Amino acid sequence: MNGNVGALLCCFSGVDGTSRGFFERKQSAKSNLDPVGGKKLEKIKQNPIIKKLGFNRIILFLILLLMYAVFSSVVKGFASMDRILSILNYVYFLGFLALGVTFVIATGGIDFSIGPVMFCCALMAGYTLNNYGMPVILCILMSILIGFLFGMFNGYLVAFVGVPPFIVSMASMNIAKGLGSVFTKTQSVSWPQAADEAGKGWYRNLVKYNGIPTGLILFAIAVVILFIVMNNTQAGRYILCLGSNKEAVRLSGVNVKKWQMSAYVICGLLVGIAAVFFVGAYTTVQPGLGDTYNNEAIASCVMGGTSMVGGLASIGGTVIGVFVISLLQEGIMALRMTKEVQMIITGLIVIIFVYADVSARRRKN
Amino acid sequence: MGDVNLNKADDVILTMKGIDKSFPGVHALDHVDLELRRGEVHALMGENGAGKSTLMKVLTGIYTKDSGSIWYEGREVEFHNTHEAQEAGIVIVHQELNMVGDLTVAQNIFIGREFKKGIMIDDKKMIRESRKLFDELKIDIDPKAKMSDLTVGKQQMCEIAKAISHKAKVIIFDEPSAALTEKEIEDLFSIIRDLRAQNLGIIYISHRMDEIKVITDRVTVMRDGAYVGTLITDQCTKEDIINMMVGRVIYEDPKTKSAVPADAPVVLKVEHLNAGKMVQDVSFELHKGEILGFSGLMGAGRTETARALFGADPKQSGDIYINGEKVEINSPEDAVKHGIGYLSEDRKRFGIVVQKSITENSTLATLDQYMSGMFINKAEERKITERYIDELSTKTPGPDQLVVNLSGGNQQKVVIAKWLVRNCDILIFDEPTRGIDVGAKNEIYKLMNRLAAEGKSIIMISSEMTEILRMSDRIVIMCEGRKTGEIRIEEATQEAIMDKATRDIK
Repeated sequence: MNGNVGALLCCFSGVDGTSRGFFERKQSAKSNLDPVGGKKLEKIKQNPIIKKLGFNRIILFLILLLMYAVFSSVVKGFASMDRILSILNYVYFLGFLALGVTFVIATGGIDFSIGPVMFCCALMAGYTLNNYGMPVILCILMSILIGFLFGMFNGYLVAFVGVPPFIVSMASMNIAKGLGSVFTKTQSVSWPQAADEAGKGWYRNLVKYNGIPTGLILFAIAVVILFIVMNNTQAGRYILCLGSNKEAVRLSGVNVKKWQMSAYVICGLLVGIAAVFFVGAYTTVQPGLGDTYNNEAIASCVMGGTSMVGGLASIGGTVIGVFVISLLQEGIMALRMTKEVQMIITGLIVIIFVYADVSARRRKN
Repeated sequence: MGDVNLNKADDVILTMKGIDKSFPGVHALDHVDLELRRGEVHALMGENGAGKSTLMKVLTGIYTKDSGSIWYEGREVEFHNTHEAQEAGIVIVHQELNMVGDLTVAQNIFIGREFKKGIMIDDKKMIRESRKLFDELKIDIDPKAKMSDLTVGKQQMCEIAKAISHKAKVIIFDEPSAALTEKEIEDLFSIIRDLRAQNLGIIYISHRMDEIKVITDRVTVMRDGAYVGTLITDQCTKEDIINMMVGRVIYEDPKTKSAVPADAPVVLKVEHLNAGKMVQDVSFELHKGEILGFSGLMGAGRTETARALFGADPKQSGDIYINGEKVEINSPEDAVKHGIGYLSEDRKRFGIVVQKSITENSTLATLDQYMSGMFINKAEERKITERYIDELSTKTPGPDQLVVNLSGGNQQKVVIAKWLVRNCDILIFDEPTRGIDVGAKNEIYKLMNRLAAEGKSIIMISSEMTEILRMSDRIVIMCEGRKTGEIRIEEATQEAIMDKATRDIK
């Protein structure tokens, strides 16, 4: 990667020198065993541009386009600006969640608390806004701070105390749900509407301003920054390496606990930001919910080529994955099917992609 | 002893003849013979990698032999797994015990073949049967006790009882005494004597010379995967056995003279290092430009010493001085700060991140020096990596190659590069040529010599006698967690080293 500020497009198609996704790995494993078979495909993949963009991410991107085409032809009026804006609303908050959890999964960990923590942030900050009259900007910061603290909590327990990530995040999922409910006295919280007379609704401009999806610009900037963090900073390097072989990194004299924790902290920060974009798009939050988004965020990651075993992660892949899930959710709603159908599909996506990743690794070994 | 009739050929229960086994690149067993009689305790001896374990694995069906035959109770047999061997009456008592800690003694003994009462497990009957077994063996263990509450010695007794309950006719003890106290060893021996009296055939693998003399009737010695000979224990000395174990011709030139000047300063001094059972009161010095060999048999505590020194494992006590100054090393981070680099014996687990590139691995210990501000300076990183690829002649298409795609020797070079980039003055090479082919081996040797000549100080742990004699300027020998000797290369012989490595335990 030359230069630190990679072009926006590059990020979206997911150029990151070291990470390779599932299709690619699967194929290279195959080609080791059978040098004759799949020769044509191999040739395509050796193309430097395709190699750089990532074969699997190109495929995923094509799937995304295909899905859009299918929904547009099946559902009347699907190909409209309104629909796109609606999809984008979903992309923002899910995107921040998925990008956050990408860092955690890269370490070989998992975080099942992201959805509920996002709701907890939105609830507590929103309640403070409505009931204690705290300025909106401080409430936004408060939301991010709560996410950050949850990240610290999870990260400390995983890295320094040694509690398995699965257990830690399950527990903090419940803590987040409970905390949000207790704080708001089990009431749902509505953040101010756009036309709020006290001018409190300005934060919604972060998502959409005069019909322009400003959120997309902010999201794009965040993606670029996170791409750089993952690929060009010490944190990203160590997170990826320790996800691949923690003991080897430790024996190289690296403070692995610190860097392992940093992944959870990054994740927590992004979850706090996700909360802001969630209320920016939907305004109302209900206590005790949020866990469906865990699956959607994790599905986005694994689709994009981030390995659940750790060590391989792709920011670009995750972003495409987020678009796929968001489009899916909009499409399913447009087809007048329920959210539950989408939950089934997301669940299956996770299983299929994780299975593919695991079996590709097994073949390689 | 002496009560075994060594002339009665029909007493032979097991014969292994011309057993041959190869793994890719290794001829592990080269037409090995072994004969075991009823009512005999037969020692199987040899250095690390001599093929003892492989032979036993062939016998019990874990490995399939390439050629040769196994005769058991007068019939030719071939077992396909340990279960079949067990059914036939051949049982191994492993050094690492295969017990489920949370189950009771009785449950462990009858695991996989529980007595049933309808669909319920009949615990009472299992306890009764266990008690019967223990009475037979004259062992005092409560069958209802939880396995994890027993001492290692008692657990081993249970393992033996389990073997007996399988109607075993041949029992193989794989270094049974390694974890036992003296009293427990005595108990073990009395059980073994009982078993011998009951006409079982017993194979006893151990490095402890004194035990061999006490408990065994005959000794078969193996070396480099080949059968060397069988002796009657009463009629041979420790020296006889050692000579058979080490009597190989050394093809590579052994070092005859230390390359280190007598007045070379001490760069590392370790005093009274204690870390668990495997590192007890270890002290040594390392001079500038020296290659200090660490020799010993498997489980002598060499790797544990290195890991404790490097801060990879916690230590209980001990002082470490670097260039005369006392230092605190409590983590690999500390060790690296003080200029120590450690190349693990298990490269894939502890040395490299296989899924990452050569560049990423090369700067793993040094990344903070390749930062410009917040960002990794990838150009500089690449430059230094290319330099060391060149310098160590690592065979790779380029620095972006994933380490997983490199051969063992080249992976080792990447690990070496990691520490050279860091500019470490003290390097610990733990089994530096394990799993590396001959050509690459020589390259690694040359490299180590070059590094020493450039003033780096090297600790080399090796289980290969030839490697120790070829590379070291001085040799520290360890046995069961203790340092048992130190020999200058000028005085070093295979026999002298092996003598110290198998010191009698008194």
